[in-house]
Amino acid sequence: MSMDISLIKHGKDAEVKLKGFIDATNAYEVEDILVDVASKYDDLLLDMEQLEYISSAGLRTFKRIYMDLRRKGGVLSVKNVDKSIMEVLEVTGFTRLFKFVD
Amino acid sequence: MENITVTAEIPNLDVVNGFVLGKLEERGCPQRIQLQVRLAVEEIFVNISSYAYDPEVGPAEVHCEVLEDPLRVVIQFMDHGKPFDPLAKADADTSEEALLARDGGLGILLVKETMDDVRYSYEGGKNILTIIKNL
Repeated sequence: MSMDISLIKHGKDAEVKLKGFIDATNAYEVEDILVDVASKYDDLLLDMEQLEYISSAGLRTFKRIYMDLRRKGGVLSVKNVDKSIMEVLEVTGFTRLFKFVD
Repeated sequence: MENITVTAEIPNLDVVNGFVLGKLEERGCPQRIQLQVRLAVEEIFVNISSYAYDPEVGPAEVHCEVLEDPLRVVIQFMDHGKPFDPLAKADADTSEEALLARDGGLGILLVKETMDDVRYSYEGGKNILTIIKNL
């Protein structure tokens, strides 16, 4: 599936805009990119405004990023979470891993 | 056409999605419902692809039809891999410790949450998982 990822740098922290679909066919590609970003910045903010779809394969990617950041004392935050994405995060308990910001 | 058979491998998810979502699109099904059906289809197809024939590969047959009164989509997934009832296990633990300790179990949780009915049977050497979503 198609997915666009754009990175905005805020000094030692990064903001990543996710656009499109994260499913089992592209989750590993998305993971490679986010792991690389997480390795270079202290904290990471995911802007989900244009994220249309995520499955459990995509959640595994978020979990990996969360653990990478936590290991070095970083924080994984999210903003602009759409209703259908929020439903997936709530059902799976992933709301516990994120810091929600405005 | 109400059935397709594909090799149960993750790249074929696009084929299965196209087949099922095409039928919903034809009926003017709202986007929100299409995304929920897409999610359930993915979680089930990925499970079959990952485990049914592991370490071999084999076929997955998908049947999909839209029925009236009440308007609903019925999707059946069939494979002749190892007998496996995904509904038999207790729901996955979604506490933070459990989430971090292991993968798995979240897919079927999402299927149960988004669909109106989920049924499993094993007949004629086949795993048959049926999901129903009211439209």
